[in-house]
Amino acid sequence: MLTVVDYGMGNLGSIVNMFRKIGVQTVVAVDPAGIERADKILLPGVGAFDTAMARIEQQGLLESLNHKALVEKVPILGICLGMQLLTESSEEGTLPGLGWIPARTLAFKGRLDTMRYKVPHMGWNTVEKHTESPLTAGFESFEEQRFYFVHSYFVQCDDDRHSILKTAYGLRFDSAIRNGNVYGAQFHPEKSHAFGMQLFRNFARL
Amino acid sequence: MTMLRPRVIPCLLLNDESLVKTVKFGAYTYIGDPVNTVRIFNELEVDELAFLDITASRQSRRPNFKILEDIANECFMPLAYGGGICDIDDVGKIFGIGFEKVVINSHAIRNPAFITQVADKYGSQSVIGSIDARKNLWGRYEVFTHGGTSKDSRNPLEWAQELERLGAGELLLTSMDQDGTWAGYDIKLTQSVTSKVNVPVIANGGAGTVRHIGDVVKKGGASAAAVGSIVVFQGKGLGVLVSFPSKQELKDCLA
Amino acid sequence: MTACSRCIYDERVPSISFDEHGVCNYCAMVDDLKRQYSTATPAGEAKLAAIVEQIKKDGKGRKYDCVVGVSGGTDSSYMLYKAIEWGLRPLAAHYDNTWNSAIATENIKKVLKKLKVDLFTYVVDNKEIDDIFKSFFLADVPEIDGPTDLALAEVLYRAASKHGVRYILEGHSFMTEGVAPLANIYFDGKYIRSVHAMFGRLPMKTYPLMDFAAFMKWILLKRIRKIRPFWYMAYNKEDARAFLEKDCDWVYYSGHHLENRMTAFNHSYYLPGKFGIDLRNLSLSASVRSGQLSRQEALQRYSEPPHMEDDLLEYFRKRLNLSDEEFERVMRRPPKSYLDYPTYKSLFEKLRPFFYVMAKMNLVPMSFYIKYTSKTGI
Repeated sequence: MLTVVDYGMGNLGSIVNMFRKIGVQTVVAVDPAGIERADKILLPGVGAFDTAMARIEQQGLLESLNHKALVEKVPILGICLGMQLLTESSEEGTLPGLGWIPARTLAFKGRLDTMRYKVPHMGWNTVEKHTESPLTAGFESFEEQRFYFVHSYFVQCDDDRHSILKTAYGLRFDSAIRNGNVYGAQFHPEKSHAFGMQLFRNFARL
Repeated sequence: MTMLRPRVIPCLLLNDESLVKTVKFGAYTYIGDPVNTVRIFNELEVDELAFLDITASRQSRRPNFKILEDIANECFMPLAYGGGICDIDDVGKIFGIGFEKVVINSHAIRNPAFITQVADKYGSQSVIGSIDARKNLWGRYEVFTHGGTSKDSRNPLEWAQELERLGAGELLLTSMDQDGTWAGYDIKLTQSVTSKVNVPVIANGGAGTVRHIGDVVKKGGASAAAVGSIVVFQGKGLGVLVSFPSKQELKDCLA
Repeated sequence: MTACSRCIYDERVPSISFDEHGVCNYCAMVDDLKRQYSTATPAGEAKLAAIVEQIKKDGKGRKYDCVVGVSGGTDSSYMLYKAIEWGLRPLAAHYDNTWNSAIATENIKKVLKKLKVDLFTYVVDNKEIDDIFKSFFLADVPEIDGPTDLALAEVLYRAASKHGVRYILEGHSFMTEGVAPLANIYFDGKYIRSVHAMFGRLPMKTYPLMDFAAFMKWILLKRIRKIRPFWYMAYNKEDARAFLEKDCDWVYYSGHHLENRMTAFNHSYYLPGKFGIDLRNLSLSASVRSGQLSRQEALQRYSEPPHMEDDLLEYFRKRLNLSDEEFERVMRRPPKSYLDYPTYKSLFEKLRPFFYVMAKMNLVPMSFYIKYTSKTGI
């Protein structure tokens, strides 16, 4: 069963709603037991990096999540902050990330002319396929592949092969990443209409 | 180069449980059922939606969670809600329902630290600082609160900078004079703010044609344009009709 | 089961009878109307042309000379094109019952934009109309969408009256839709008022109710006439659709009336589910009568279940605030009809000769005279 992790941060309602719309049943997990039953995991996230990592630890989810990701290797999708958590660290905070994908989360501020490129990067932007992956199947059928982004920090993979989608906003960053069974999407599929539905559909089929 | 298209955001006004549209923050016309209208906008795949509850704002009432839930269930695009927000728990509840952002206006004036409180807990991208501005007899802009019923007098530009400093991730700048007039946005007002802040500014008030949208983005520096009358009426003085500019029209005016 | 040898109405249709050739009385009714109006003949077109001339004459000096009701559907959209083609200056009028789908509003927008026609809209209060819909649902009668139909009629009159317009053009076509049995769809102001009084909770304030007084005001005082051009000229729905799609990117939503969610619920679920009424037989029979469809094919299509949008039922229940079991319970209750509630029917019957004259003068549609004033309940 596709399990959405509830650690108190993230738009669970919208995510569950969109899966329901495409006919996929989901279950929400708040404790290790819930995680243990999962055969597919979705990690949402809205807010600050450290707050998120601290919460995950406080709820005792770290061990079971690590087991699912690294040992059982179930498909995992991290969204927005959830994708940033997959990296090793973030300039937003001091706590380490889950480290499932060798990458770092960096700040837009200081790297962009913020008068020209307002931060947060907010709105509909397009993505470009960098590496093929089942998560992005069927995207070519859309005239324009755009998703809704809201973030002040971006991810840069150490190994470019882990980048599956790239987006430009003053600089080019990884908008979707993958390391084996672990996937990340910087944008919000649950708020991206038909485009998001396609991505969720693909993830559900993995 | 960046492919971030400026957002066009229908800004819908809630009065009790009905959708209305105002002119200069005054008289209003009944538009229809909020949830069905939202459903239509969802079908039209609009960029984003903003809901402002004007009764909650004017009467300092708490948000109508039931309606917000119904609305969130219909949408697969970002949603913002504003109107009488002054409680951090209400904010949490609104996000839990499925909204991405809260629009804070009057309460930010009363208690500026509230903005910081919300931004710290949920991230600055979740807070839109809202400014309603009107020109006084001498042509100076002044800030109003409580759905435009109460004058605060401070300068919108300074207040915008302050809101940014407090942690607002976005600003909603509304010209009360232009509201509902179909005559175009207040480009000057918009430009004065966008040139001084580093956060995205949503211009609001006065859109009458798609051209106006292009103007406020290109000349006013707005990152997004909120639209009201133009998406709920067929034309100025004409019947209610919920619609949204076509993808081609938007592409052309924002080019 | 006996079915008409010509169209596909069968004995389940209320007040149906068959002649010695097995042809039903509804076919006979359509044939009769065709004769009266000289449909799709030069004589019919001449009659229509004369009416159009009169409309222009009576509308001189005013901003608009006629009102056309629009819903976003085929008939009304095409009607507007025709009106413009004939040189008329129409005002489009729309009654928004707050259950529209994006298809409806988009189609209205496209057609009006292309033809440069102004729109007059009347929007009823959403909570009020939901209360009225719910009272019809709880009354166990088929006319759950009756309030919409009557409100539209009243709104068209109001729009006409406001602008001093004396003619309303309606896109109804008995050739493409046949004549609906009265027992399936009856509506008048007293009926709506009584059902609402019995089962409703909110006062009726914004709902545009056409009571008898209002009805008389419109036809006797304001003398606003109803013209149905498709009764005089040849009209093929498929051709009309193709034309609209090409000319202004109008979109066809499969099935009759599916631009509005209440109508969709009514046609696809409520009527078939509770009353065994599948209104597709109207347009299918009409297509058979006019030779556009073979009887076999019509029966084939009729046997397929009607199309329904996902989560339409959920939307209906949510808006009307009905729990799943309350909804099921009411759906399973035995059906009632307009005969179980106070209506103007007997009054209409008493005024039969009067309405005959009104129909001849186009002050009420001939089909109204045929169905509403008849004692045999056709």
